[in-house]
Amino acid sequence: MADAITKSGFTAHDEKITARSSLFYRPQAKTGLMSWLTTVDHKRIGFLYGVFALFFFLVGGVEALLIRIQLAVPNNNFLSAQQYNEMFTMHATTMIFLAIMPLSAAFFNFIMPLQIGARDVAFPRLNAFSLWVFVAGAIILNIGWFMHDGAPNGGWFGYTPLTTRTFSPNHAIDMWVMGLQLLGVASIAASLNFITTIINMRAPGLTMMRLPVFTWMTLITAFLIVLSFPAITIALIELMMDRSFSTNFFEVSNGGMPILWTHLFWVFGHPEVYILILPAMGIISEILPTFSRKPLFGYPIVVFSGACIGFLGFGVWSHHMFTTGMGTVATAAFAMTTMAIAVPTGVKIFNWVGTIWGGHISMRTPMMFALGFIWLFMIGGLSGVMHSAAPADAQQHNSYFVVAHFHYVLIGGSLFALLAGIHYWFPLMFGRKVSEFWGKLSFWVIFIGFNTTFFPMHFLGLNGMPRRTFTYDPNMGWSNSNFIATIGAFILGVGVTIYFVVMVYTYFKGEKVKNDPWDGRTLEWSLPNPVPEYNYAVIPVVHARDAFWYQKQHKAEIEAEKAKAAKEEESHGGIHMPFQSLYPFIASLGLLIGGIGVSTMDSNPDPKVIVGKKLTVCFIGLAIFLYGVYCWALEGNEGYHIHLDNHGDDHKH
Amino acid sequence: MDRNLHGRIPTRIHLILYKTMSHSAVANHDHGNEHSKFEIFVQLAMLLAVITGVEIITVYLPFSHTTLVTVLMVLSAVKFLFVIFIFMHLRWDKAFCTILFFIGMVLAGFTMWALLQVFSVSNSIPLSSL
Amino acid sequence: MSSVASGAIDHHHDSTTSTGIPNKKLLMWAFLASDCMFFGCLISTHLIYRLHPPAGTPAATQVFSIELTSFSTFILLMSSLMMALAVNAIQKGNLKSMRASLILTIICGLIFLGCQVYEFNEFVYVKHLTISNSILGTTFFTLTGTHGIHVLLGVIWLTSMLIYSYTGRLTEKDAIDVESMGLYWHFVDIVWIVIFTVVYLLEYI
Repeated sequence: MADAITKSGFTAHDEKITARSSLFYRPQAKTGLMSWLTTVDHKRIGFLYGVFALFFFLVGGVEALLIRIQLAVPNNNFLSAQQYNEMFTMHATTMIFLAIMPLSAAFFNFIMPLQIGARDVAFPRLNAFSLWVFVAGAIILNIGWFMHDGAPNGGWFGYTPLTTRTFSPNHAIDMWVMGLQLLGVASIAASLNFITTIINMRAPGLTMMRLPVFTWMTLITAFLIVLSFPAITIALIELMMDRSFSTNFFEVSNGGMPILWTHLFWVFGHPEVYILILPAMGIISEILPTFSRKPLFGYPIVVFSGACIGFLGFGVWSHHMFTTGMGTVATAAFAMTTMAIAVPTGVKIFNWVGTIWGGHISMRTPMMFALGFIWLFMIGGLSGVMHSAAPADAQQHNSYFVVAHFHYVLIGGSLFALLAGIHYWFPLMFGRKVSEFWGKLSFWVIFIGFNTTFFPMHFLGLNGMPRRTFTYDPNMGWSNSNFIATIGAFILGVGVTIYFVVMVYTYFKGEKVKNDPWDGRTLEWSLPNPVPEYNYAVIPVVHARDAFWYQKQHKAEIEAEKAKAAKEEESHGGIHMPFQSLYPFIASLGLLIGGIGVSTMDSNPDPKVIVGKKLTVCFIGLAIFLYGVYCWALEGNEGYHIHLDNHGDDHKH
Repeated sequence: MDRNLHGRIPTRIHLILYKTMSHSAVANHDHGNEHSKFEIFVQLAMLLAVITGVEIITVYLPFSHTTLVTVLMVLSAVKFLFVIFIFMHLRWDKAFCTILFFIGMVLAGFTMWALLQVFSVSNSIPLSSL
Repeated sequence: MSSVASGAIDHHHDSTTSTGIPNKKLLMWAFLASDCMFFGCLISTHLIYRLHPPAGTPAATQVFSIELTSFSTFILLMSSLMMALAVNAIQKGNLKSMRASLILTIICGLIFLGCQVYEFNEFVYVKHLTISNSILGTTFFTLTGTHGIHVLLGVIWLTSMLIYSYTGRLTEKDAIDVESMGLYWHFVDIVWIVIFTVVYLLEYI
């Protein structure tokens, strides 16, 4: 395994670099554990996000299968009610925050800098910090499984007053709150980094309207994250204060209003679902043109629609609250904004269809997942716009109709696109291609399993089956559909297993390919695979949208430009690379320890003890965090230089 | 016109002057203005103090609730905008910085407005306050 | 000689970036846009709970001391001036002047924090308004406390920068770091401008 990693090329050989003498030692390992803990390379960070995301995707999948086993037959006692609550809470929280979002982040990290012709993101150490804080948050969310208090069990949306101290007295909810806060920090830091990178580090000639659509969606998603996460940060702070310091934010007896939590949560929660889908839409917008051998239809409209969806997404949150009695005006207003947001979404679908229309279609595995996306996301969108009619929603709310809707957009939409992206960019990242037969087989099993599981849920919902209930009566008429759904879930599980096994196999032993196996259109395909540490030997000059396609049509012009730019870069001292650093990891470790102290430990009830165990652990965590941050600030942001000789080999100094 | 001007200025100083002028074209503020920057800041601080004083006095004036609230909002907005455009330098920086901040500010304002609207209607009055 | 030295570095245009805006400045402005939403939601919570206060809530005008708060508002405004002067100084390579302005900024910040601590003590022990005994106390202390924490973090940052400036490693080329810190500090001031009006002054109308 270690062998494969050393050979796979984006880990270079261990070379001694003579760093300038500075107050702080800069780690130089290029292989081994330390090289991963100290990496600031966006490609490695993207890889790590991907590995963690795929791991938690499996965890979330197991949680889902346990739910489906419990619901396979009526009056089942496979899981207790309490265990069931933990399952649906953790399944949702894991899939949203620990699987889909980090898998999107994996692509943002690996692909986006390559698409804009950059050598890394604007703040490489901040990037590493985001990754490790994400891991810290993931740990805190899941640590409850191993503790007496159990995993979080208040639903992924944590409605008060259920999650207040009165009704959830143990630490399960504290861990949920703390885990999400850390994930929020990670997401916001990463998004600030991506915004700066995309706006400020584009290659010469790469105007905003020449950006690949995936990069545009990365930018819009980053804006959504930095503007929506503060709402849940505040909501979580208020909940934590209620739970820890007896404040009254959601305490009815002292003037609090639990509905405020619901509002603040969904002010975040609705943009969050666009955060989950926009990157996927970006990936699809790259794959369809490549495999139809046509440029994206209506590029400006696709970009503009993405921006509209992002913007309008902040104005629809109360459509999750139609049944809370907000009054006619508020309900009507949110119903209208929700219907409005269906328009740009639909426009995108038309543009994707327009892209395929008349193209020379190549039915490879990524294309199959992409076509599946269009169809399944559209179904999910249709059930979504059905919710926008508030009277109809009065019946659909909290029923399995909603479950069907969001699984169609999240699995049929986000997941299919991400699975497509893995297949599509696998050759670029690892120099190998997944076999067509196994790839397509995994697609079909997943497709069949998914639809078998979730299509019946539309009917279950319309027939009144409520969400989040651990069992149901055999007289309700829901038994057959539930049983079919469970069978479907296991088929889906088999499909996912095939996909994973094939992916791991391909990583080690798959068919090796030269660069640009799909005849791609965007800049990342111009790089050799595996991608060198410094990405571009020479920063490209961009002349048009689909920059690499232009390069392929104008080879001579590009060669001349390249030679000229290479001379200029050499005269400036060569390729500048940042030094690695351990301090982002250390700072995250401090947050992890502090977070564990805050969320899992009891305060010492003895009033004579001023600093008990809990406060001690918190202070240790804070101290480690501050140490990490100060050293990070003081170690400076120097780097080393790489000089490429005529053969493209590198010499570091 | 002194045709001999450039001939008489030593070359070194000529180059320095040239550099200073071209930098000022790029920098969007010239070095002759450095003193007035200081003055602008001090004058602004005094203006902000005066506006704050006016705000405090306003609350004791015998006008209608709506009028007073409007006056306070306007005065605060003026202070807010002065600080971001002058102390935070937005007036002299690239427009994108302004756009970026305004996106967050406008969205926050809109969200606040929408939340207050929803909680103001009769359906949302808590029973304990009725 | 400062005009020659400062002519060498253009503090408002970074030619290595696509927009000319330095990366750190762009990052800070994006962060401040995010912080707008953060304080927006917190201020919203306070205002929502002031719409229909439950019976038995203390009257804010009986608790607040407008004189003290006006004084601390004025102090914070002055600290903003000092901060702007500090940034101005380092952009001209004038380290001494920057240090003096930074010290004054820190002093103003500490006075503000002192006023907050005094005010909190008064409210809790004299006026009997605590964070947990009423909804007014909850929202008031959480909002102004969160702002106070932002001020405290700012003071720590300012002090660290001040100490660092004595090591000889802070020079004119690092002005962007002082400028970013300045943007954060000014933001904390403008949040207070909003809080002073909507939390304190509005109660008196």
